[in-house]
Amino acid sequence: MALIVIAEDEFLIAEVLTIMLEDAGHEVEAAPHGQAALSLVKEKRPDLVITDFMMPLMTGLELAQALRADEELSAIPIILVSGAQASIGRAHPDMFDDVLDKPYEEKRLLKAVEGALAGKCST
Amino acid sequence: MTQSLPRIISGIEGLDQILGGGFVEGASYIVQGQPGAGKTILANQVAFSNVREGRKVLYITLLAETHDRLFQVLGTLDFFDRSQLGVTISYVSVFQTLRDDGLSAVVELVRKEIARQGATLLVFDGLLNARDRADSPLDVKTFVAEIQSQAAFVGCSVLFLTSTRFADDSPEHTMVDGVIELHEEVPGVRSVRRLQVKKSRGSAALGGVHQFEITSSGLTAYPRLEAALRSPSVQDGPSSAAVASGVGGLDDLLGGGLPASSVTLVFGPSGAGKTAIGLSFLAKASKDEPALHFGFYETPARLRAKARALGVDIDSPIEAGDLEFIWEPMTENLLDKLGHQLLQAVRRRKVKRLFLDGLGGFQRAAVHQPRMTEYFSALTNELRALEVTTIATWELRDLFGPTLTAPGSELSSLIDNLVMLRHIETRSRYKKALSVLKVRDSAFDPAIYEVSFGNTGIRIDVPLPPVVNATTGMATPLAT
Repeated sequence: MALIVIAEDEFLIAEVLTIMLEDAGHEVEAAPHGQAALSLVKEKRPDLVITDFMMPLMTGLELAQALRADEELSAIPIILVSGAQASIGRAHPDMFDDVLDKPYEEKRLLKAVEGALAGKCST
Repeated sequence: MTQSLPRIISGIEGLDQILGGGFVEGASYIVQGQPGAGKTILANQVAFSNVREGRKVLYITLLAETHDRLFQVLGTLDFFDRSQLGVTISYVSVFQTLRDDGLSAVVELVRKEIARQGATLLVFDGLLNARDRADSPLDVKTFVAEIQSQAAFVGCSVLFLTSTRFADDSPEHTMVDGVIELHEEVPGVRSVRRLQVKKSRGSAALGGVHQFEITSSGLTAYPRLEAALRSPSVQDGPSSAAVASGVGGLDDLLGGGLPASSVTLVFGPSGAGKTAIGLSFLAKASKDEPALHFGFYETPARLRAKARALGVDIDSPIEAGDLEFIWEPMTENLLDKLGHQLLQAVRRRKVKRLFLDGLGGFQRAAVHQPRMTEYFSALTNELRALEVTTIATWELRDLFGPTLTAPGSELSSLIDNLVMLRHIETRSRYKKALSVLKVRDSAFDPAIYEVSFGNTGIRIDVPLPPVVNATTGMATPLAT
């Protein structure tokens, strides 16, 4: 079991994602925007961060940049899940361990989560 | 001296004219209507128009469809540019902030986000959810006021979208600068989309309801013609020149030809020769006198075949680019779309000869019949001012009959010249007859003439033998 922080502004998506990950045996903490997610990561030190791209106050890319710039947090794997901005994520392979397209496909997501937790990219 | 307010264009054809020049920069508007009315498409079209102008847009949602679902739908529309998502336009949800921390937290978040994005347009989708979270009307008023003042402070315009029709004296309405209502009505079995600017602070918006449609291009609005063209768009300069009708013998009856920049109504029953007259008129098209056939009945291919059968050469002007056909089947037309489409085609090619076949096609498209007089008045005034010589047709219902009804309600009074066609039964033969009833500012031949068709076109040069009751269609020889 791993602790995963989700950064997702869309409430319905955050709910579904949480259920999906909890059913897979993980513990989940969700934040409604990038800034809240950054605070949560600092507080909880999760094993993995799953982030959306477009969010209030801090985008998924900005969140990843903040984590990578922090020595204590830079090793936490990050998965970007985005509908329209996945290409922006793929342009930053140093920031994201994996990039997934929305809508969520459960098997694909869980495989990416296991891959990131094992320290390797599933793509 | 009055000062005009800076505007941002909507990017929606027709809407800027209805709004009196576009949205006022830094102002806030409510866009309201039932689900499916077109609010989201309107807002996104405005948003992407702003993006194309180099502006930044912030699109905030509360409890609504997911952004990905929204992008799927928008992906079917021409204006949507996926490459700008997260770059110049950001879609963010603040529902969790509203639910967990309330309206004040949302205001604070929106303020920070506008500044962070450098947005000059904010779309706030879900005002109703904010209202549900409020404890009192004062809370709603305060929320709307705070959002719009935060936005206005940095020159950001706001569109609040809501699926509820707020009352005109609702707290939301009293706070914003403008209210646009979208509505889909079902008169009979068809549906017609309409929009109304219910409030427009600081702008002389076009009042009343205006038709609009949604296609793959997004929204297109059609300002009500009689409101948009209350007066012609250009100065009317009456001319005493005459324009050749192209119909053998008719010019002599008219006193030398059709008065230039006039509107002639040719009315009569089916098969009496109205379209034949129109085709002959169009065959005179030239570089100096570009022509347009705007019709509802025959297709362009059938009209070309008909002209060939009549011995009227319209192929040459078509091939030379001097004659254009616009065919709008008489199915589900929008009255104001027809008017704007016609006038655009006239302006685009500087049309001087226009054949409208016929005015009944416009009337059938009208959802609200009592406005037809004002509509035709605006249309014909504009055509005259644009120096177009127009022949329009009006089909009489009865092939024969003892009574003859003037075409259209008050229509005759808007027309410069009246030409009547009839089928006449006399001596066991049917004849077609033409008579000129009215020519603007000119003497004309009041005699009734036979209409003859040959292989060189239609001719009107043989007076009808003396009969009585020709206008009723049931002529009897004049007793000698």
